[in-house]
Amino acid sequence: MKFSYSWLCDHLDTKLSPSEIAETLTNIGLELESLSDYSSYAQFVVATIVDFKKHPNADRLNICSVENGEKTFQVICGAPNVKKGMKGIFAADGMYIPGTDITLKKGKIRGEVSEGMLLSERELNLSDNHEGIIEVQGNLRNGTDAVTALNLNDPIFEIGVTPNRGDCLSVRGIARDLSAKGVGKLKPINIKKATSEEFESPITWSIQNDGNSCSFVVSRYFKDIQNSTSPEWLQKKLLSIGLRPINALVDITNFITMDLGRPLHVFDADKIGNKLNMRLSNDQEKLLALDNKEYSLNDITTVIADNKNPLAIAGIIGGNDSGCTLETKNVFLEVAVFNPSMVAKTGRKLGINSDARYRFERGLDLEIVNEGLDYASSLIYEICGGSFSKKVHAGKIDLNQNTISYKFDNFEKTIGIELSEKDQIKILNNLLFETKDYKDGTCDVTIPSWRNDIKKNIDLIEEIIRIHGYDKIKTNFPLSSNDEQKKVTNSLINKKYTVIKKLKKSLISNNFDEIITFSFQSLQAHELLSGDPSLKISNSISEDHAFMRSSMLFNHLESLENNRKKGLNKLSVFEIGPVYNNSKSQDNILFALTSKNKNQNKYFEEGSLDYYFLTKILSKILSTVNFDIRQFNITRSNSNIFHPGQSAELHMGKKIIARYGKIHPLILENFPKLSNTYGIELYFENLPIDSMVRRNKNSKQESSFQHSEKDFSFIFNKDQNLFEVYRFVLGIDKKLIQKLEFFDEYLSSEIGSDKKSIAFKVTIQSLEKTLDEKDLEQIHQNIIDKVSSKFDAKIRS
Amino acid sequence: MGYAVAEGPDIETDFYNFSALNIPEDHPAREMQDTFYIEDQDEENKPYVLRTHTSPVQIRTMLSQEPPIKIIAPGRTYRCDSDATHSPMFHQVEGLFISENANMSDLKGTLIEFCKQFFEVQDLKVRFRPSYFPFTEPSAEMDIAYHVKNNTLHIGEGDKWLEILGCGMVNPVVLENCKIDNSIYQGFAFGMGLDRITMLKHGLTDIRSFFNANLNWINQNGFGLGDY
Repeated sequence: MKFSYSWLCDHLDTKLSPSEIAETLTNIGLELESLSDYSSYAQFVVATIVDFKKHPNADRLNICSVENGEKTFQVICGAPNVKKGMKGIFAADGMYIPGTDITLKKGKIRGEVSEGMLLSERELNLSDNHEGIIEVQGNLRNGTDAVTALNLNDPIFEIGVTPNRGDCLSVRGIARDLSAKGVGKLKPINIKKATSEEFESPITWSIQNDGNSCSFVVSRYFKDIQNSTSPEWLQKKLLSIGLRPINALVDITNFITMDLGRPLHVFDADKIGNKLNMRLSNDQEKLLALDNKEYSLNDITTVIADNKNPLAIAGIIGGNDSGCTLETKNVFLEVAVFNPSMVAKTGRKLGINSDARYRFERGLDLEIVNEGLDYASSLIYEICGGSFSKKVHAGKIDLNQNTISYKFDNFEKTIGIELSEKDQIKILNNLLFETKDYKDGTCDVTIPSWRNDIKKNIDLIEEIIRIHGYDKIKTNFPLSSNDEQKKVTNSLINKKYTVIKKLKKSLISNNFDEIITFSFQSLQAHELLSGDPSLKISNSISEDHAFMRSSMLFNHLESLENNRKKGLNKLSVFEIGPVYNNSKSQDNILFALTSKNKNQNKYFEEGSLDYYFLTKILSKILSTVNFDIRQFNITRSNSNIFHPGQSAELHMGKKIIARYGKIHPLILENFPKLSNTYGIELYFENLPIDSMVRRNKNSKQESSFQHSEKDFSFIFNKDQNLFEVYRFVLGIDKKLIQKLEFFDEYLSSEIGSDKKSIAFKVTIQSLEKTLDEKDLEQIHQNIIDKVSSKFDAKIRS
Repeated sequence: MGYAVAEGPDIETDFYNFSALNIPEDHPAREMQDTFYIEDQDEENKPYVLRTHTSPVQIRTMLSQEPPIKIIAPGRTYRCDSDATHSPMFHQVEGLFISENANMSDLKGTLIEFCKQFFEVQDLKVRFRPSYFPFTEPSAEMDIAYHVKNNTLHIGEGDKWLEILGCGMVNPVVLENCKIDNSIYQGFAFGMGLDRITMLKHGLTDIRSFFNANLNWINQNGFGLGDY
């Protein structure tokens, strides 16, 4: 939202400078995006090029004699539009040029002295135009400052308005919020009531829609007006915020939209029928809109229509055929209340972003519907003459004023600072919220019509602290409690991050580089990998990113191929991240890929890159997380990404732990520079986490006493989390139970389709003595009893 | 500070990514984020989305744990946007603290401490200013001061501001959506772009460099063994 300082001062009586206003805006949540404050440009002055000649040593440069009202300077200038007698903007040596971030120094350009500069618009940050120097129009004296000469004395603010603050999409609303902060006094709206009302409108309204999208519409008919270009004050206002003046009628509606936040629409009354209707459209109808695009309408779109055609899309944009032009003689002005959600839905569906939509979908002040009409009427009457009708309307405005019972204590509880009831009330009143019925630490707060975002206590707390100032919030530092620390230490995910660190460390020390690639893959990759069709992205940014990846393989192959093209031979990368099984399930895995040119032997000192080398790497990785590769069942891999004869899979029970080997030759055909490439997929999340987190087998206290191992087999519910079992069993007797290893998982209809059979080995050892039969028997029974009752599990004989 | 790590899936339902976070379908706030949609639909017949923020992890955690809750949730996030400062995939980290009395002063102190640690700057000038997120109220954005000297950005002191994170008190509606009694419990949440703050800390200019696996770049800018 853009507005100028002088426009703001139409509504706000303030002594604050533009930069002070700017800071206040940000502090109350209307974040300043830019403030064009040109007051420092007063040092630049109008100067005339009294004469010029070609630079002897440079074709494109001219040596100009420039007169600034006091003396004549020699200026070397490269602009193509230099001419004798032309007036420009002159900067003398020592001045700072904002557009180029350079301070001018006296010097020679190609051997000729230059004592200053004639400025382009870009050098003054006024636009991107650098085609030539600024030519000052009109009859200004040399020495006139640039602020006056270029009309830069009205600073322009641009602020970001959050979606909840539809009320601040108007200069009026912004002024109101600033006045609540105490930086000025809100001026009353000055609407001159024109007194013309003499005839009945020949055009009338009906609302015939789903009963929801438009609740009220009011209009006036204007007869025998003279449309024209707008008066200078109006043009200047619109231009100051970057809006192009069109004609008085259109400019008036744009002005009121910006000034009061009240969109309205003017129809050329001679181009429309005399019975207007708010109705739903259908999918046969089309409308050529004011943006010169034709829109195909549909049955969720509310339109303003006459007895033949749709004339405008309600709350969004008017139609081209019924718009006002300089020839317009009779006008029908429409002001309506549209349902925000309807406008949002329609606007999104048709892809139209207009100032009207932007405001309607955020909700508008219901109390300025008639004011908007009156304001526009008086301006049309004043600028275009003619006469206007009585108001004609349909529907009604539901002015349901919201009252909230507010509890003063809630402020301190939420914000953590004290603020007296009196001060809280003062802020609410400054925001024009009425407060009454104070009792037992509460009061009733009536919400003004423009704040449809305020509905609850928490909204009021936010308003109070917003105006009181976020800088007044204290900075406490909540220390963590023992319970919290315990939760962190026991958190499985925190442990997983420890494991991830270990894995990364081990790969990096084996000369792999860590990369992060997008979670996407191309259609081609998706098909080759038989990825699940549910992973298709509807609005992907490109064909290459059309699916969620089912494997990291292709991303990594592409990255290796790109790096090889750059001449790199050391190509070993890994990534720890997600791969997607379908829209409901993902695995976080480690993927590593390594490739070597056949004739390139430098990198792998340990021998050639082959299946056995890869086994060694995987074995090292596993050992850093306390697993011995020999612990797992090893089988041939039938994965479609690996070479059928040079790959393997590791399992723990039914769970996949790793796949590794040479990449399938059919896939490598697509990557000619990577014919010798091997990969590892490690499903580290399938390994028992506590075994991996343990610092190191050796660092554990050694016991010289004999240990005993015992196998258990339980039937659990099928969805039983084994980590939980693992933790629980180890916790049964922390002194004696040293280790638990799962070694079998078994599903069968015999045990029931919702059950699974799990076998694990428990290592029992005491640091103090050799355990006897009786001790062991006791702890075995303890494990059986506790596991059975905790997990509703059955021991298998 | 006692925050345990929490996680959630990248492919989310409309409920977790939007509606439970008080972002209804037609609300303009949805347009603050350019969402990727998956063609497949969830149980409510709404298309799955790629999570646009890590905030759905808040919802998942609150629905599965009893307060007090203190979590930190890093992860991949997605928005359909691509230029030097936007990548279709990026990372966020989200914090959530729910207890009987966690308040906005606690939030402010926590974040200032976090930023001092992250940027390794002890004298850090910060600014909290009001903002809006549907899932927090009051909402704030936090800026840190910086200045440019010899073409290098210095964080901590200066008269310019860098926006680094969004935060606020968890909106009572969100607690209600997560079956937490908002007459007893309250708390705060914060979220930030991990790539962005990393770029600021290390003076990097193009977010896309993180993801195009250029090994020369990684070996110049990446982290060595000692950093793990």
